[in-house]
Amino acid sequence: MRKRIKHFLFATYEDFDKARDAIAELKMLDLKEMVVQNIEIYSPIEHPEVEEILGEFHQPIQRFTFFGAISGAIGAFLLVAAAAQSMFTVQPQGGKPVIPLPMDIVITYEGTILIGVLSTLAAFFIYSGMPRSLKKHYNEKVSEDQIGVEVQVLPKHREKVREVLARCNASEIREVTL
Amino acid sequence: MSDYKMKDIEWAKINKDVLESLESPRKAFWIVLGVCAFLVSLGVAAEIYQYNQGLGVALMNRPHFWQLYISNFVFWIGMSHSGTLLSAILLLTKADWRKPIYRFAEAMTLFSILTAAIFPVIHLGRVWNMYWVLPYPNERTIWPNFRSPLLWDAAAITTYATSSALFLYIGMIPDLAICRDNAKGWRKKLYTALSMGWMGRATEWLAFRKTYVLMACFLVPLAVSVHSIVASDFAMSIMPDWHITSFPPYFVAGALYSGCAAIITLFVLLRYVFRFEAYMTTEIMDKTAKLTFAIAMVWNYLNLSEYASIWYSNDMFEKEVLLEKFFGPYCWVVWGMLLCATVAPFAMAFKKVRHSMWGMFWLSLVLQLGMWLERFQIVSPPLASNHEPWTWAVVWPGLVQLTITLASFGWFTMLFLIFCKVFPSVSMYEVKEMVFHRRKASSRTELEDLDKVKDEMVKLEEKLA
Repeated sequence: MRKRIKHFLFATYEDFDKARDAIAELKMLDLKEMVVQNIEIYSPIEHPEVEEILGEFHQPIQRFTFFGAISGAIGAFLLVAAAAQSMFTVQPQGGKPVIPLPMDIVITYEGTILIGVLSTLAAFFIYSGMPRSLKKHYNEKVSEDQIGVEVQVLPKHREKVREVLARCNASEIREVTL
Repeated sequence: MSDYKMKDIEWAKINKDVLESLESPRKAFWIVLGVCAFLVSLGVAAEIYQYNQGLGVALMNRPHFWQLYISNFVFWIGMSHSGTLLSAILLLTKADWRKPIYRFAEAMTLFSILTAAIFPVIHLGRVWNMYWVLPYPNERTIWPNFRSPLLWDAAAITTYATSSALFLYIGMIPDLAICRDNAKGWRKKLYTALSMGWMGRATEWLAFRKTYVLMACFLVPLAVSVHSIVASDFAMSIMPDWHITSFPPYFVAGALYSGCAAIITLFVLLRYVFRFEAYMTTEIMDKTAKLTFAIAMVWNYLNLSEYASIWYSNDMFEKEVLLEKFFGPYCWVVWGMLLCATVAPFAMAFKKVRHSMWGMFWLSLVLQLGMWLERFQIVSPPLASNHEPWTWAVVWPGLVQLTITLASFGWFTMLFLIFCKVFPSVSMYEVKEMVFHRRKASSRTELEDLDKVKDEMVKLEEKLA
């Protein structure tokens, strides 16, 4: 099977506003000529307004948390209840409850939190796409003080996109073909 | 540097300053690490001796089956509280002054809990049977007794240690990527593996923020539950002075109090050793001190209300233990606690004290001493005058217990020192966010000021016209 070639342009900007302008111009160009395949922003800090620029990301991490916590609660409750049954068969339990609720609540509480946290972590790895290896065109300046804009284009549109990125005062533009 | 000047710090400088703290340590670092390692080896030797001879060499006998090991356990669990709990609460309330101090506070949590977890094992005596607390199917068809608060402890501490470690790790991933981009040799390999390919993509940031907040939501109730459960170890028994309803909140307040004091100690030390004056500002110390003062007052209130409820209940057993505490052989522990943890915090009511770094450093040590005494006076005096008068005996901790206690301080310091040299003790990306938002706010204020000047000029022109 023939591997599909991907072409990337990676521009870095001194501040977020310049990167935002560059993306706005690219979107305008894309509306006219359909030149852009994908845009991604890289930054040293979180910019919640990214969703306004690139559109909303679907990351239902909280669902993992919710169902994880419920599973943890059920699992922990069953563990303690089952352990109580096991004791019941071995030792006489005169007058004691078959499923003792007060102690079950404590263990259930801890189980809810433990599995809730672990499933949240699992969701984080799923939706952030980690672990992964670094991209070839990744610019280390992004972890310092620059904002990176990665644009996936077809080779024939490369020059046009590059021109737009440069026009918006990019500090550096890298090109990679994968 | 003052807090309002933080907006002028360049992002590259933040990276440089924090990464410098990871460079080759000075001679003093190795000396302190050597002393800690020596203390730990002393503790290991004491434990081996106790292991071979039995718990009797630690002078633990009827009625003092619980003594310094359990006091230390409660002390270290308490110390572990403020880091993660405060970090989580301040994150949820969007208090940005947490940003330069939360990383080392969370590390402190993790290492305190690792130190605390050692004590039940040592205290057990039969160390080889420790795995019996784990619920697993076995040939004896016997399961752990989940009715015991000691089992709740095992569950709560495992959950807390796991969640705190993950919370610390998740919050560190963007910084590990910064370290990866600037490191060489074994460090590069370590940071590359730990940062898991973080590149600061928008998808990563959004998933990161959601995860971080959700984990914080779990950690707040978890931290409260852990110390409540530790309190249950005492409150669930029928011992006078232990069987008290207010013990869980009292323990939680005490844990927060000693944890805050520990944060202040480490704040001053890190600021001095790594020259973090630009990030760990006087304003942040002021806020931390005010918070500690408020928590100290809550703890004082609960402490005094406990005394009052015993006094007015007129329960003869409870009252006798209380009087024994204040005027018996352990009285200096109780009076020492009251002096260090009840009277001393009032110094923080003065701005001059709150703004003096070394003043706060010494005060925080006094507060921690007070809280350590508090744990000792909870455990030992009631055992010395329990329900069975024929067992009454005053016993002070022996050399073995004291050596292991000292070793625990060496162990904690050693872990913390290694952490500070391998991982960034100040969060670089969060400090950058802090600087970014302050810069934004200040430019907004400047624009508003310009608008005002403009309006005034227009009015002046109109008048002149």
